[in-house]
Formats: sequence, C-alpha cells, structure tokens
Amino acid sequence: MSSRIPLIVCLVAGLIMFLQYFSAHPVARAMFNQVNDWWQIIFAFTLFVGVAAFMNNSMRAIRRGKERPFKTVSLLALISMPLLAIIGGTKIGSPFLWTFDNLQAPMQATVFSLLAFFVASASFRGFRARNLQATILLVAALIVLLGRMPIMAYLSDTIPELTYWIQDYPSMAARRAILIGIGLGSMTTALRVILGLERTYLRGQ
Amino acid sequence: MNNQKIRWTIFASLFAVIVVSYIITLKWRIPTSPSVQKSYDLIESLPPSSMVIVSFDHEASSLPEIQPISYIILRHLFSRNQRVIGMSLFAEGTAIGYQTLNKLAAEYGKKYGEDYVFLGFKPQHISAILGMGESIRQVFPQDYLGNYLAEIPLMSGVENYRQIAAVISLADGDRTVQWIEYTGKKHGLTILGGFTAAMITTYDPYLSSGQLYSAVGGIVGAAEYEGILGLPGKANRALLSQTAAHIFIVLLVIAGNIAYFKRRKGGK
Repeated sequence: MSSRIPLIVCLVAGLIMFLQYFSAHPVARAMFNQVNDWWQIIFAFTLFVGVAAFMNNSMRAIRRGKERPFKTVSLLALISMPLLAIIGGTKIGSPFLWTFDNLQAPMQATVFSLLAFFVASASFRGFRARNLQATILLVAALIVLLGRMPIMAYLSDTIPELTYWIQDYPSMAARRAILIGIGLGSMTTALRVILGLERTYLRGQ
Repeated sequence: MNNQKIRWTIFASLFAVIVVSYIITLKWRIPTSPSVQKSYDLIESLPPSSMVIVSFDHEASSLPEIQPISYIILRHLFSRNQRVIGMSLFAEGTAIGYQTLNKLAAEYGKKYGEDYVFLGFKPQHISAILGMGESIRQVFPQDYLGNYLAEIPLMSGVENYRQIAAVISLADGDRTVQWIEYTGKKHGLTILGGFTAAMITTYDPYLSSGQLYSAVGGIVGAAEYEGILGLPGKANRALLSQTAAHIFIVLLVIAGNIAYFKRRKGGK
C-alpha cells in the first residue's frame, strides 16, 4: 500500500500535466501556474540543501585539517557574497558587484582560458593519425579548424566550403541522431514513470 | 626533450603567440556569414519600440567570448530604439546582464524603466520559461532593483510572450535549447542565439530546422556583426590573436604527427 500511493499520485499528476498542455481553459492555466509556482519553491529549497551540505562538508574538512586553506577560502566566499549583497545591495557601485567584477569573473575566466593551453599541449601529444579512424578524425578536425578561421576566406574557397559540408552533413546527421534518440528516450522514460513501470524513485519497490 | 619540457615550451609559445598578436591592432573586415546576417536583418526589420527579451544565460567564465556578442547586439537594439527586457537563467548572468545593460543603455541615452529593464534571475529555468508564457509578472513580480513590474512604464501592457517580438539568448551552454523547446513552437517566438564558438555546432540542427532563427557564434560571429554595423570593437580586436592561436594549434598537430611517424619509422 505504501508504494501504491506515490504511484497513484505520479500517474494522476503526470496525466493532468500532460493533458493541460493541450488546453487553454482557465482552470487548466491556473492549475499550471500553481504547479509551476510549487516547482520554483521546491527548487529554491534544494539550493538551501546544497548550501547546507557544502558548508557541512567544508566545516568537517577544516576540522580534520584536510585542504584547510582552500576550504576556508571557499567557505568565506560562500558567506561573504550574500552578506555583501544584503548589506550593500546589488546596484552598480555596490561592494557585491565590485567583488564579482574584480574577483569572481577574472578568476573564472582565467581557469576557463587555461583550457587553451591544455588543448595546445594535447594537440601535439595526442592528436595522431594512428589508424584509419583517427586519420579521418584528424583530417576533418584540421579542415574545420582552418575553415573557421576568418583569414581562410581570403586564401581559399575550397576549405571553407568543405568545412560547411562537414558541419551540414556528417556532423549534422550524427547530432540529429543523438537528439532524436534523446527525445525518444525521454518520452519512453516519462511514460514508464507515469505508468508505474519505472520505480527507481521508490528505491526500486 | 622530455615531456615536461615539451609541455612548458608549448605553453610558453602559445602565450607569446597570443600576447604578441593581441598587441598588434588590425582592423579586419571579414565576410559576413548567413546566420549573422540573418540576426542583423531581423533586428533591422523589427518596428521601433518592439519588445525584445535578452537573456544572459551564461557564466562569468565565458565572459571574454560572450561579452563582445552581447555588446554588439545590444548596441544594435538600442540604436534601433528597441525596448529591451533583460533577464538571466544563470545566477552569475545576473550581475553580468545588469551591468552590461546599464553600460550599453547609457551609451545611447536610454532610461531605465522606459527603454529597458532588468528582471534578474529565476532559479529552475524550465519552470521560469514556461511560466513567462502565462504571465511574466507571475514569474518576476519585481525587477532586479526591487521595483514592482506593475509600476514600471516599460512593462505596462506586457503580459506574456504575445507582446514579445524576439528572444535573444546569450549562452555558453545548452540553455537556449530550453528556450527553443518550450517557447519556440508553443508560443511562436522568434529565438536568436549568441553562443561561444565551442557551442555553436550543438545548435546546428536547430538552426537548419528553423527552430532557432539565427545565431552569432563566438568571437568570429561578433566580429562579423561589428563589421556590418561599422563598429569595430572587442571582437575585432581579439580576432587576430584567436586566428594566431588556431594556426599555432594546427602547426602543433602537424609537428606532433611528423614526430610520431619519424619515431614509428625508427622502430621506437
């Protein structure tokens, strides 16, 4: 019985939300808005759970002396940003935006830009024509890389045209196949959950 | 040369290539791709005072690549006297969007609340996108500064997507996919994208099917847009260093393969 109630709730909620999509009736729209509000509220609470879990783990690590400086900095950042926003507001010229512009944004951009160096290193050491498949991949990658360079438009028509061909046919076909597969998989999973065939959210009962 | 030395040589060389090429100022006029031209044409064709949502759906890490796109698109919108509703579906995009909008609006003498507004961030992006189709005020009762939407002149008469001419999603991930899936066909919205170069191919199927109207991709796309408007800016400036870095990587791939085949020939 204990597992039947959630299954019934899931079936009813799933069917109602599915049917309301096709209805413009005010009751259906009001119900959708209500459920949408609940969704946002539940999601907002999950953020609190995330913050609490992060603080708990960081505090435990600090007590154990594990990665103490890093954990302390991340905890301080987690606490100070909301505090700055609450105390000084979030308008232009506020300490919150100053911290965001001068600490957070440059640090994140720096970490992201390091990728360029790793890509360069990997392209020398790993990107090799070891067999037929690797050679096809390598040639295609080089053509696309060259074809996307603006300077290539002045040097040759062939490589940019080849680049568009690779993107529009082989690459597009593969991407479409993946997207259609994801779509069909999502629909199947949703149907299985609504019909109670997929019960992993009930710990497999 | 051992692996460690090779790695550091590559790092130092790439750094030098980028810095030197960035110092050189070269104003390029590059050919415009069809997708960028389509984005430009759409904004040109909108009647003045059309409502356009600009959603800053990206993080601070991609700012150097996304910012030139957001700058040139907003410059175009403001120069055409379109009204802009800014928002974000990423917490970090909030601070970026608010400052970018204010900076660009100031360049064109636009007034907050009359010509543009910034709604801020809403958690759970799918729910926010769906909810705005019913009522924007229900999802965002207040703007980023805490003003009630009912009291903002720009928002009077704006109930949901029916009053919106287009949505421009500036994304470094797949957030725009949700705009396409939940608003494109259902609400008949025209969706434009501004993406990092790494993400542009992800959107190719949506572009070719017409679900995504058009896209401006990476530094190259932004530079093309700057070229059409005749406003060379950050993207044009970064174009040479990006091209130089790409050429450097192509040379590295070639050098790596020559070394590999030499070693293989030598039986190592």
